[in-house]
Amino acid sequence: MSLWLQIVDTAGAALLLIGAAICLLGVIGMIRLPDVLSRSHAATKPQTLGMILVLAGVALRLRSGMDLATLGLIAFFQMLTGPVASHLVARSAYRTGQIDHDELLFDELDEQLTDGR
Amino acid sequence: MKRILRLSFRNADLPPLSAEFGTRRRRVLDLPLIAWLTLIWVLLWSTLTWANVITGLVVSVAVCLAFPLPRVDLGLRLHPWGILHLAVYLLHDMYTSGVKVTRQIFFGLPHRAAVIGVPLRCRSDLMLAATAVAVSNVPGGSIIEVRRATATVFLHVLDADRPEELEAARRQVWRIEELTVRAFGTPDEIARVAGPPPPPQLAAGRPAP
Repeated sequence: MSLWLQIVDTAGAALLLIGAAICLLGVIGMIRLPDVLSRSHAATKPQTLGMILVLAGVALRLRSGMDLATLGLIAFFQMLTGPVASHLVARSAYRTGQIDHDELLFDELDEQLTDGR
Repeated sequence: MKRILRLSFRNADLPPLSAEFGTRRRRVLDLPLIAWLTLIWVLLWSTLTWANVITGLVVSVAVCLAFPLPRVDLGLRLHPWGILHLAVYLLHDMYTSGVKVTRQIFFGLPHRAAVIGVPLRCRSDLMLAATAVAVSNVPGGSIIEVRRATATVFLHVLDADRPEELEAARRQVWRIEELTVRAFGTPDEIARVAGPPPPPQLAAGRPAP
């Protein structure tokens, strides 16, 4: 019995560490990638995955029903609010001309926006 | 004399699952919304006691009265099997693409990015928003713009050099759309996403791959 608890505890600790490492990768990506849109990739996706892994690790260590539900709620809101924030950053960056259009291979949105005018 | 509280299952003129409340200025309360807010309240206190449930009910009714939402039929249906399917797909995709993003960050810098438009099949606002959120959560594309009139999402894709990568990004969006609608959509929308993806008439100006 206590062996199982030990295994679960270790797995939880490992998940915490992996989640933190993935968050760190996202930060490194933010430094290395060239422009706003690419950076928003690095800022959102690894963060969400890392966050969920950290929450799973915490859940394995806490192991009580109510705490699990709270952790689930945190994950739910993280997945719901992260894309909204990143979309707003990307949209405002695009519309205020922070995008280097020569760097893009092609841009289907640009045609649409200029058509609309 | 009018009654203070009227429930929707006795009054056909109220929207389903709601209660009308008040004497002079009558307000319509959305019962599932109140239940959800109460659940969040209890979870935030993280103990299930009667005191928490009752204060949660009071707070959520007060919030709903103070900040009323517009009365719209969202068209939200919950299909448990579809939700499970979507969750498994999203988690699996996050996991497998984590490696890919890492490789891009460390070794794949000279790749060119592109902005592509992907026309969707669903038309309701809620499905459009849910699909956009789901697409944003998996690596591959981040949403820049959503066109409501044509139901088109515009994605920034990192690895745009090869045409098959672009095709994969489009197919992924359509797959996520289908799963999202199967998890939350009305039968009408589900029938629509079961069809083939729309022709890329919006993408006419882009160079042929």
